[in-house]
Amino acid sequence: MGVNYQTVLWNKNKKVYDKWIGIGILVYLICFIGITVATNPATSIETLIIRAFGTLAIALLHIVLVIGPLARLNTNFLPLLYNRRHLGVSMFLAALVHGGFSIFQFHSLGNVNPIYALVTSNMDYDSLTHFPFQVLGFFALIILFLMASTSHDFWLKNLSPKTWKRLHMLVYFAYALIIMHVFLGAFQQQPSFASIGILIFGFIIIASLHLIAAFKETRIDATVTQDTEDGWEYVCDVNDIPEDRAKIFIVEKERVAVFKYNNQLSAISNVCKHQGGPLGEGKIVDGCVTCPWHGYQYLPHNGQSPPPFTEKVATYELRIQNKKVYILPTPLPEGTEVTPILI
Amino acid sequence: MKKREDEFYIGYVDGIGQHTKKTVRQFVLFGLLAVILIASIFAFTQNRFKNSTFELATTTKIMGVYHENPYPMLKVKTGENTFKNILLLGFGKFSANPYLKKIRNKSGSISGSMISIEGNLIYYNGKTLLQITNDEKVTLLETGQAHQAPRPSTIAKNMELKGEIVDPKCYFGVMKPGKGKIHRSCAALCISGGIPPVLVTSDDNNISEYYQITDQNGKAIHKDILPFIGKPSLLSGQIVQLEDWYQIRIDVNTIQELDLPSRIY
Repeated sequence: MGVNYQTVLWNKNKKVYDKWIGIGILVYLICFIGITVATNPATSIETLIIRAFGTLAIALLHIVLVIGPLARLNTNFLPLLYNRRHLGVSMFLAALVHGGFSIFQFHSLGNVNPIYALVTSNMDYDSLTHFPFQVLGFFALIILFLMASTSHDFWLKNLSPKTWKRLHMLVYFAYALIIMHVFLGAFQQQPSFASIGILIFGFIIIASLHLIAAFKETRIDATVTQDTEDGWEYVCDVNDIPEDRAKIFIVEKERVAVFKYNNQLSAISNVCKHQGGPLGEGKIVDGCVTCPWHGYQYLPHNGQSPPPFTEKVATYELRIQNKKVYILPTPLPEGTEVTPILI
Repeated sequence: MKKREDEFYIGYVDGIGQHTKKTVRQFVLFGLLAVILIASIFAFTQNRFKNSTFELATTTKIMGVYHENPYPMLKVKTGENTFKNILLLGFGKFSANPYLKKIRNKSGSISGSMISIEGNLIYYNGKTLLQITNDEKVTLLETGQAHQAPRPSTIAKNMELKGEIVDPKCYFGVMKPGKGKIHRSCAALCISGGIPPVLVTSDDNNISEYYQITDQNGKAIHKDILPFIGKPSLLSGQIVQLEDWYQIRIDVNTIQELDLPSRIY
């Protein structure tokens, strides 16, 4: 969390994270370039750069895309999610080297503008065999640029978390474009069982993890409250909620987290104001509900971030009767004080 | 049984739970192994690059008789009664013509003139090309050597050839690969910029032959041939020999696209 915007709010974990990104990138480039130079020495430096960075970007994109569902399936993976944006920006930079060199090599120094050349040099848009695959890569690069350039809390705040999230969900569209770019380009010219196989395997892994994570979330969404009299809805037994943790329930189509702490209960919206993280999967730390994604904090009794932070989420009224927890389904305005109920 | 500690990771707080640390370490190790595997697969499965050469950082001065039938070339003496016809090209994706304009303006037609040019050599499989980057490095030495310029001679009236139309600058050395689908847009840009189109054929033993492509009257073709570049095609026309180069004179409307993978080298 930060009050003022800085380029990067460095901390020890981010430095360790970035160190391993650097090591991974270096290992990849050394392997690819080393093997190519040793086994196929007639290569040119331009081709080596284009291919090394293009394939590196694909490898990094796969790692970026598996982290989200892994962290949803097992909270032990959350440290990988914490600084994923640096991995994403590294992936964009690799794609930029690939795309930039390719545009210079193949589409520049001619009688038309390089971007115009990229779009018009091959007009077989109606043919799968001859399709101008470069255009797909170019649009993917634009999406990755938009994501990388807005990959900062300044943009998250100013675009609004909802718009920012929608923009960053375009990564799946970029992934589809990149897969088609490779299949309609490189794989048509030099098809190989191993390289095609590894991309198909990557797709299966990404799709499976997302489906399993989605299945897990639908089970959470199936945990609905039950109607009772007087407008109060039954949530759960008080012993169903672990200490300093929460249970998530669907109340009037919204996810609500009911926290137990210090022998009392409070309910707030499950959606973190930062990136929509699941607050109900967080923990009470130093008296605050702490988001598992990036550590944003809220006071459980009023849904407000502790000063000087200003984020606020909706709160809910609870009551307890014979160890049974009930909730009023109508959310109170964000940041409304609600006295915690004693167990 | 000891109750497992309720670990909770907060990025901005130093320290990390033992189980979380173990999972992250395993992921990083697995990630590094995956990175090595992916790099190895992509590196090992690349097609062989050909041993073509582009002397980008070295300039060479050559001297010979200039001729254009229809593409600018220089006939260079390489030994006693042996000559090589070097195809002249401009910088980037352009023909040599803009770099010859200066001496043309000075002397009129330069066909049959002795010229020296300093540029970057491109060569592969017996063919040599020269990139001119500066018109100051083109010098007219002597006019009136027309008798030394090669004359086209017909060797087949009508012949069908299967192959791929490439731009010779990239194919013979500037790019690797300088052919096929990946390179198609670049080749189209080169040929539309004035670089002569060349048909590359390959027989069952992967022995290639090269044919400069002209229209039926021996005139240059550029824009009309763009839709066929980088695709296996069937061309039919008159075969003409220009000493160490062949030409095929075609009607572009008769080019047939073949639904085949590229086989050229």
